[in-house]
Amino acid sequence: MLSQASAETYYQSYAVVLAVLAAGVLLVGVAFLAARLIAPHRPLPAKLTTYECGIDPVGQGWSQSQVRYYIYGFLFVIFDVEAVFLFPWARIFERLGYQAVVEMGIFIGILAVGLLYAWRKGVLKWV
Amino acid sequence: MNPTIDYHAILPELILSGTLVVVLVVDVFLRPPRKWLAMPLSFAGVLAAFVATLTLIGADRTTFGGSYHVDPFAVLFKVFFLSVAMIVLFLSLRYFREGRYYQGEYYFLLLSSVLGCVMMPSSRDLLMLFISLELVSAPAFLIAAFRKNDPRSNEAGLKFFLIGVLSSAVMLYGMSLIYGVTGSTNLYEIGKALAGHLGGQETLALAAILFVVTGFAFKVSAFPFQFWAPDTYEGAPVPVTAFLASASKAAGFTGLLQLMFVAFIHQAAFWGPVFAAFSIFTMSIGNLVALQQRQAVRLLAYSSIAQAGYMLLPFALAGHGVDKEAFAAAVTYILIYAIMNLGAFAVVVAVSRKSSALLIADFAGLMRNAPLLALAMTIFMVSLAGVPPTAGFWGKFFVFRAGIDAGGIGIALAVVMVVNSVISLFYYLAIPRQMILVEGPEEPMRSPALVTFVAALAAAAVIAVFVYPDLIAHFPPLSTLVGS
Amino acid sequence: MTGQEYAFVVLALVGTVGAVRLVTAKNVVHAALYLVVTLAMVGSIYLVLGAEFVGWVQILIYVGAIVILFLFGLMLTKAPIGRESLDNQQRGLALLVALAVLAGLVFLIQDAFHWGDRKMNLVHNTTGEVGRSIFQHYVLPFEAVSFILLAALIGAVVLARREERE
Repeated sequence: MLSQASAETYYQSYAVVLAVLAAGVLLVGVAFLAARLIAPHRPLPAKLTTYECGIDPVGQGWSQSQVRYYIYGFLFVIFDVEAVFLFPWARIFERLGYQAVVEMGIFIGILAVGLLYAWRKGVLKWV
Repeated sequence: MNPTIDYHAILPELILSGTLVVVLVVDVFLRPPRKWLAMPLSFAGVLAAFVATLTLIGADRTTFGGSYHVDPFAVLFKVFFLSVAMIVLFLSLRYFREGRYYQGEYYFLLLSSVLGCVMMPSSRDLLMLFISLELVSAPAFLIAAFRKNDPRSNEAGLKFFLIGVLSSAVMLYGMSLIYGVTGSTNLYEIGKALAGHLGGQETLALAAILFVVTGFAFKVSAFPFQFWAPDTYEGAPVPVTAFLASASKAAGFTGLLQLMFVAFIHQAAFWGPVFAAFSIFTMSIGNLVALQQRQAVRLLAYSSIAQAGYMLLPFALAGHGVDKEAFAAAVTYILIYAIMNLGAFAVVVAVSRKSSALLIADFAGLMRNAPLLALAMTIFMVSLAGVPPTAGFWGKFFVFRAGIDAGGIGIALAVVMVVNSVISLFYYLAIPRQMILVEGPEEPMRSPALVTFVAALAAAAVIAVFVYPDLIAHFPPLSTLVGS
Repeated sequence: MTGQEYAFVVLALVGTVGAVRLVTAKNVVHAALYLVVTLAMVGSIYLVLGAEFVGWVQILIYVGAIVILFLFGLMLTKAPIGRESLDNQQRGLALLVALAVLAGLVFLIQDAFHWGDRKMNLVHNTTGEVGRSIFQHYVLPFEAVSFILLAALIGAVVLARREERE
């Protein structure tokens, strides 16, 4: 259970995070506002076109991407989920010793087989 | 607290896990013409796990702090799931080899799903139960879509996936509420907590039970959550459908049995009538729609919905003083259903080599072209209808008897079941009628030896269980899961 | 009201607005971005409740990974996702169902916990607690999760791969 004192420190530590967040938002906000106030304002239709290295844009902005790139997104999610388990593992790692190492080793080992599979099937080649 | 792990108790799971990884790694290094070798490899692993499970007969072990329990109930279902896995492997070999599908991946995913099935009956913890169920379903979504070039298979996988995820979400929400009310994820602890005073949270507990039941109702395709099943069964590769309709469904039921009869048994007066409604509607809708089917797999899909209705019936009898009998009847029915259904799908796999559309009309003349298969199919259909001399008769009989013994609503349910069985005769006999009475093109059918073997074995089992019902009916009452 | 409750109200309001805009936005890419707002607010509510680990997991996995996957998924579609209306005929029905679910859940939860008559004790230091229960009590489900992930990975590769003549 959370005692009164540790609750205080818990929220105080997040107050710092909040303050940094607010400072960040403020900084960007002020910069934009300053730009709006100081910069000359001359709207032209050409300013609204998409910038493509100075060439006039052709076709629509939307193009269908290949399904194979989806696998990269998917690999990212899988290993992101794996990474999440590493945090609690790191917290109790010292206490449990080799048992924790073995448990995590099996977990990562099984996922590594997936990576091996993806690699052998040539999925990891970008082109 | 540092519980030691009972490695003997989880030996079957360990062997299966090892096999999974080996199958995948070996597949990566196999040349395409040799990819089918993944099947014998998987078979060896499943067989080893099977033997390991046999050494656990009579055991009563718990491990992982009571969340994993190996008792007669669990061992019975583990043996059953591993047997089903071997049969499905037999059915898959030619189908996937000739179809040039991804074989190594298929066997890997199939075994993952089997691993989930094997873990399910031992899971006596909400979290464990949920993960097992996901392990059953997640690979199943994928292998349902394995015929990549057929839009119907894509539809099968997608529908199955969307419904499966939705039902998991509802179930998980219910489970989290149960944890919130009882403060435990262990099924026995939950049972104890729900028996006591809940301090004003009774309604929430009941709603949570309802959520969990709804989630499972999707999984076992009970009305009104059955609509995905026919499309999924039709589009998926036939061996996968055989697996879904038997093992995956039975896994859903084992989870439901444990939850209902262990954790939620004190609320039986609340959920009993819910199951009664589920049961009546599921069997009636399944049977009535099945009457209009022209396609064999769709017919079997609606039949499996109707059969789920019969399996749900014993749940409605909980709390009427016949818990043990109802529980045993449900278990017996699930086992018998799986045998006859797998047999029927074996014959469908054989016929699918001739005609991929699998219309009932395609069975015409089978009696002359492949007498053994036709005979076996006739036995399965008669058995699914519940007519002697087949195992299906005993399945229905035990459920019926439990209903009569329960009295009251049980008698009404038993009567509805008998009426439904009579209706089901019309469509079950449509296939034998085609095979025997209708003239078909005369071309001897060559069926893979393994598929014929499975069909013959299942047919023999269906007859043997009728002659000697103790083959199956002996085990479920031994279960210690349910107090009298 | 305590400061904690103020924080909750603000986060919940922002999250709700995000959720409403998520389902009413006509442009699906915008909808995906509103999803970020909603999910981030849910994560922040976990933080306010003292569930530090769950809160950061929510942000890491959902805001970080799931939304990426969403955007990838959108990019796979053929239709130009512009200002075209993404609507269907079931709008009223969906609203009705959503409101009914909301009403039902509100009733259930207030029936069980009553407005403000219960002081909930917050459990802190949850990352260590979570670690202890995963690696001691729930080892088996934990390892099973790796198989689910592996199966999903293999399945995704098989289904997303272009057939090659081997």
